Amino acid sequence: MKKFLLTVLGLGVVGAAGVALIATHTPSSPFDDKKAATPPSADLVKRGEYVARLGDCVACHTVPGGKSFAGGLEMGTPLGSIFTTNITPDPETGIGNYTLADFDRALREGVAADGHRLYPAMPYPSYDKMPDEDIEALYAYFMTEVKPVKQANKPSEIEWPLNMRWPLALWNVVFTEGEVYQAKEAHDEMWNRGAYLVQGPGHCGSCHTPRGPAMNEVALDESSEEYLSGALLDGWYAPSLRNDPNIGLGRWSEEDVYAYLKNGRNQHGVVFGSMVEAFNNSTQFMTDDDLMSIAHYLKSLPADPDYDGPVWSYDPDTADELTRDVADKVPGAQTYAANCAFCHGRDGLGKNEWIPPLAGVSSMLAPEAQSAINVTLNGSTRVVSNGVPDSYRMPPYREHLSDAQMADVLTYARSAWGNHGDAVTADEVAELRGHTDPASIDVIILQMR
Amino acid sequence: MSKKLSNKVEDSFPNGEPVNISRRRFLLSSAGVTAGAFVLGFGLPLGKARAQDGGKVTPGTRVPAFLEIRPDNTVRLQSPFVEGGQGVWTAMAQIVGEELDADPKSFVVESAPAGQDYLVINNVMRITGGSNSVRSSYTTMRKLGAMARHMLLQAASTRLNVPVEQLSTEPGYVINTSSGEKTSYGSLAKDALDLETPDPDSVKLRDPSTFRWIGKPVDRLDIYVKSTGKAEYTIDISVEGMVHAAVQHAPRLGLDVASISNEADVRAMKGVMSVHRLPGAVAVVAERWWHAKVAAEALQVEWNKRDMDGVKFRYMPDDFSTAAFSDRLANEPGDGKAAEEEGDIKSAFSDATTTVEATYHSQFLHHGQLEPASTLARFNDDGTLDMWMPNQAPEQFQAQIAKLTGLSAEQIKVHSPMLGGFFGRHFLYPEANPYPQAIQLAKEVGRPVKVIWSREEEFLRDPLRPMAAVKFRGGLDADGMPVALEAISVTEGPSEANSGHDPDKVDSFAVEGLTGKTYAIANRRIAQNYVEMPAMLAYWRSVGHSMNDFFYETFLDEMADKGGQDPYEMRLALLKDNKRLTTLLKSVVDLSGGWKRGPFSADDGSQRARGVGMASPFGTESAAIAEVSMKNGEVIVHDVWEAIDPGSIVNPAIIEAQVKSAAALGLSQILMEEVIYEKGEPTARNYDLYPILRPDQMPQIHVRIIESGAKMGGIGEPGLPPVLPAVANAVSTLTGQRVRSMPLSNLRFES
Amino acid sequence: MKLSINNKTYDVDAEGDTPLLWVIRDNLGLTGTKYGCGLAQCGACSVMVDGVVTRSCVTPVDSVEGQEITTIEAIENDPVGKRVVEKWVEHQVPQCGYCQSGQVMAATALLKEIENPTQDDVDAAMVNLCRCGTYNAIHAALKDLSGNEGDAS
Ligand code: FES
Ligand code: FES
Repeated sequence: MKKFLLTVLGLGVVGAAGVALIATHTPSSPFDDKKAATPPSADLVKRGEYVARLGDCVACHTVPGGKSFAGGLEMGTPLGSIFTTNITPDPETGIGNYTLADFDRALREGVAADGHRLYPAMPYPSYDKMPDEDIEALYAYFMTEVKPVKQANKPSEIEWPLNMRWPLALWNVVFTEGEVYQAKEAHDEMWNRGAYLVQGPGHCGSCHTPRGPAMNEVALDESSEEYLSGALLDGWYAPSLRNDPNIGLGRWSEEDVYAYLKNGRNQHGVVFGSMVEAFNNSTQFMTDDDLMSIAHYLKSLPADPDYDGPVWSYDPDTADELTRDVADKVPGAQTYAANCAFCHGRDGLGKNEWIPPLAGVSSMLAPEAQSAINVTLNGSTRVVSNGVPDSYRMPPYREHLSDAQMADVLTYARSAWGNHGDAVTADEVAELRGHTDPASIDVIILQMR
Repeated sequence: MSKKLSNKVEDSFPNGEPVNISRRRFLLSSAGVTAGAFVLGFGLPLGKARAQDGGKVTPGTRVPAFLEIRPDNTVRLQSPFVEGGQGVWTAMAQIVGEELDADPKSFVVESAPAGQDYLVINNVMRITGGSNSVRSSYTTMRKLGAMARHMLLQAASTRLNVPVEQLSTEPGYVINTSSGEKTSYGSLAKDALDLETPDPDSVKLRDPSTFRWIGKPVDRLDIYVKSTGKAEYTIDISVEGMVHAAVQHAPRLGLDVASISNEADVRAMKGVMSVHRLPGAVAVVAERWWHAKVAAEALQVEWNKRDMDGVKFRYMPDDFSTAAFSDRLANEPGDGKAAEEEGDIKSAFSDATTTVEATYHSQFLHHGQLEPASTLARFNDDGTLDMWMPNQAPEQFQAQIAKLTGLSAEQIKVHSPMLGGFFGRHFLYPEANPYPQAIQLAKEVGRPVKVIWSREEEFLRDPLRPMAAVKFRGGLDADGMPVALEAISVTEGPSEANSGHDPDKVDSFAVEGLTGKTYAIANRRIAQNYVEMPAMLAYWRSVGHSMNDFFYETFLDEMADKGGQDPYEMRLALLKDNKRLTTLLKSVVDLSGGWKRGPFSADDGSQRARGVGMASPFGTESAAIAEVSMKNGEVIVHDVWEAIDPGSIVNPAIIEAQVKSAAALGLSQILMEEVIYEKGEPTARNYDLYPILRPDQMPQIHVRIIESGAKMGGIGEPGLPPVLPAVANAVSTLTGQRVRSMPLSNLRFES
Repeated sequence: MKLSINNKTYDVDAEGDTPLLWVIRDNLGLTGTKYGCGLAQCGACSVMVDGVVTRSCVTPVDSVEGQEITTIEAIENDPVGKRVVEKWVEHQVPQCGYCQSGQVMAATALLKEIENPTQDDVDAAMVNLCRCGTYNAIHAALKDLSGNEGDAS
């Protein structure tokens, strides 16, 4: 994936002088002349903590078993691994010496206090939409409530020349919007709150919006029909959050969306893959009003029937294929019966809301099969709701099924019960097997204080 | 179990019997006796026995400590050995019944409690392990049966007022040979109790040619209860007032709780009664195990290094990886300490025409017994302590518990329920058994506590079969026959790992299977190069043989190939002066339909090959042939033929089942099993990432038993070792690629 | 919540996501159903739900309300189950026995669904693990059972 570099460098040809100006320029902050209140009010700190929940800072800035916010989490990018940084208020290794303005620049502009550019794995194009008050609150929370941890940052593994960071400034010029969220008059307050949460701190698009050749999210709000239309990232397919009935939320009600974000599960499915971290650390802590607003906003995004294809409907006949006498004649069906049916059922319907259905779910209907393959190879991360770990977890099957067997069983599941996802090939399985690891079975509850 | 609950349970049982019906009650009721109606025949309360004899009794001599004959003629036997699937309770009933003259079917067998009476292995110890049970106690238990018969005859003589010479027995009855009058054992038992136990040397044993049960495929006594869910394992036992506990272990050995960040939250969780800190673990107690388990998992614990002074277990460093450790073993300098030396290895190698060198590897293994570890502890009002625990050595656990609690051995009653598999899992290994946790928790909550380790916690603390790297050197003469062999195993044995390494000694369990081979290779040196491992190590079915015969017999094929020899013919030549092993080897070949090495085409079109392997484990001789093919780069084992010569036998049906069982475990090891550590932690915590042999991977195992008349050998383990090299050698023949490490699933075969 | 187990109705106090296994074992004291892995990997916990073999360790208790659950304790009340047990005894199948409740359940469910299963049917249905390696004996018993016409005695 050299495209990123080429695109960025290509832009550089536009005009050397202009480039030099942009690349070395430290953006200004509304807080440049303002000092943060010390000590901040309890209300401000509390608000800051909630904003930190909304933004899910802890998930990326903490390694499992490590200290909260001390950074070090590896993020695979097509260019090489980068590691999240220490954002505890430790003056030496963290952000203890950041002024409110420094903090703001890092968050909304992607520029660290020493002037170096952050990789856009940090969702500053989204945080950019957060209002000044939230930035101030967040700063107050980090500086007063987060325990300082002395832990040096790990250098990124991206190699020269791709490790040059100044082209990122150009990237920012092209791909960020550079303005705080503005309410849309045509919509009500609830819709606008939802839009703000989704586009801003929630940074849903980081995973769910397709990325362009320069790793940019191709859209940052609903003005584009590609916004939240589903994307591949890091071995997972983050489904469409639009009203697409197959790959999106078309068959979900607003209440369903709410329940999913609040409890990690509903009758359509259970959070898995990267969504577990978002649920464990962020969405379940949002207020009911905020969650309903998010649901309301998402349900307003229209479907794209051309891309989504014919609407799924349940076909009960497949279950009959799994009766013993024919199972061995349908490729993958026997593997399904011996390995999958005990939990997901011969009928593909799962077990209440505890064990998700495979019938009609996006991972079985989307053209991209990565999520289905990944969760089968590696199992699921523990879902922790309200401090209580899940009763059931998807085990990894990488040691039990060969690439061909896994391809067969997924092809079967993606064509059973009315599902019409494409076939899965052994090569696709082999490729993901090669660069993924089994999910940890540890119950991880990241502390915010 | 509360009164209310047990009522429910009884009601639920379809035929009106309580579901938790014990083995004993079931057998009795099936024998036509109403439960509760039987009267104690004879039997000696153990407390009394101990008090009288102060531990000076000769084990295996006091009949009443072992036998109770009830009025209905059923015989209750206290078995010195624990039943874990190997059929030992049935074998004990056959042996005792043969001499007592009572049908094994009329026996009800249970595990004997801890006590001097039961130290029947060489009169000093008892364990259930080492394939020792039957062979080590055979004569003692026969004598016991004969002594009991003698006492019954004496009692009858007095009761009937006829001289003993005029009395005889038939199963369950004393017969007056002149009148034909029959008196049941059950009716005589009470009188017999009052008699002196005869001198064991004075009783006459049966002529083996008249055996009715020994040597016959007598049905096992525990099959019906195990086919209907009525068998009770430790994990199933409940007592009045009991609560459940689940634990979360430290991720590595040698850590202790520093802090728990969400203790209050967890205490508030549904069903949780209390949260406890234990050495190297945290625990949650609840009325229901599920609540305890979920809560124990939820605890967010920070661990720090434990004070390791004076502890017997090991500190697991956070950078330990099995891959790196395997390399280290292979590169460890030194010739090790010799365990077996013969001839002049130095000049033999300089005279050899060809030299072959190779390094072989084995992996860490889990026991993977299907019943996860559990223990129930109950402190009684009289100061005594009852312990229900899976164990292969009651006295050893009792002694350890005495140390831990300050109670005397007499105050500790160790119950040894049936084992849901063991394979070496349930010996006393530091940090590997839940009993110290159960004791501490029972003390802290003041109620009986049953600790169950979830599968994940079980795999985290299961002590492992050691790894080894063996450096081989073989010398061949001009004819391509082996004349010199050196094997240096870089490893740690399970005994030295648990009882301390003696730098002047070799742990024989580390090298058995490299040592003790009977091939006529004139110049040999077998040595151990000791390397301490950071993991806790254990005995595992067939112990050193579980890997060493794989190493040796596979290297033997490697030498054969180098010397242009057929591996079967070469073995025959090397064994030509050993009649017993020649017979054994020829019979396994005969059983397989004649030696056919391959590769050859099978009827289904697949290319196949066969390999052979031999072993001399635990006083028994075994040999196996395996037939394999490859499918999509994976090894398929189609058939295994195995011949076994344990000298003499007690139950051929049990032997056949045990050979198949051992073969399956061996296949599982060579095909797929491996415990992998990264960053000091095992990567697999359940059967998902630690697969074991599945039914579709099981070949047909064909067994032939040979009774050579040699001294009786073991049965539980000897079926395992020869299967591994048989498979590995077949795979080498088929693929042209040498197999020098396990499991095969790690190897890539070009086909 | 009400559960119907072995033709008897129980009033069970448990959260909906509690695995059926632990309700059976702890709440009701029916310990014939075993815990081996808790992860649908071994089959030791197999019961029948409306005649279909089900791994109770991955069955949320609220998902089987209103269905008929059969555990090993009632296996001999079922004519097919009774035959299976007889053949298990005849072929001396169990060793340690820990997996066998589940094996008997799986075999019974198979024979209830297909009276005379073929070898392929048996391979497809008998997927429970046995660490003692009783697989040959299980196959022998099932072969024997498959030969018989349904004998309802
Ligand atoms: S305990 Fe349910 S499948 Fe293993
Ligand atoms: S009989 Fe022991 S696990 Fe199957």
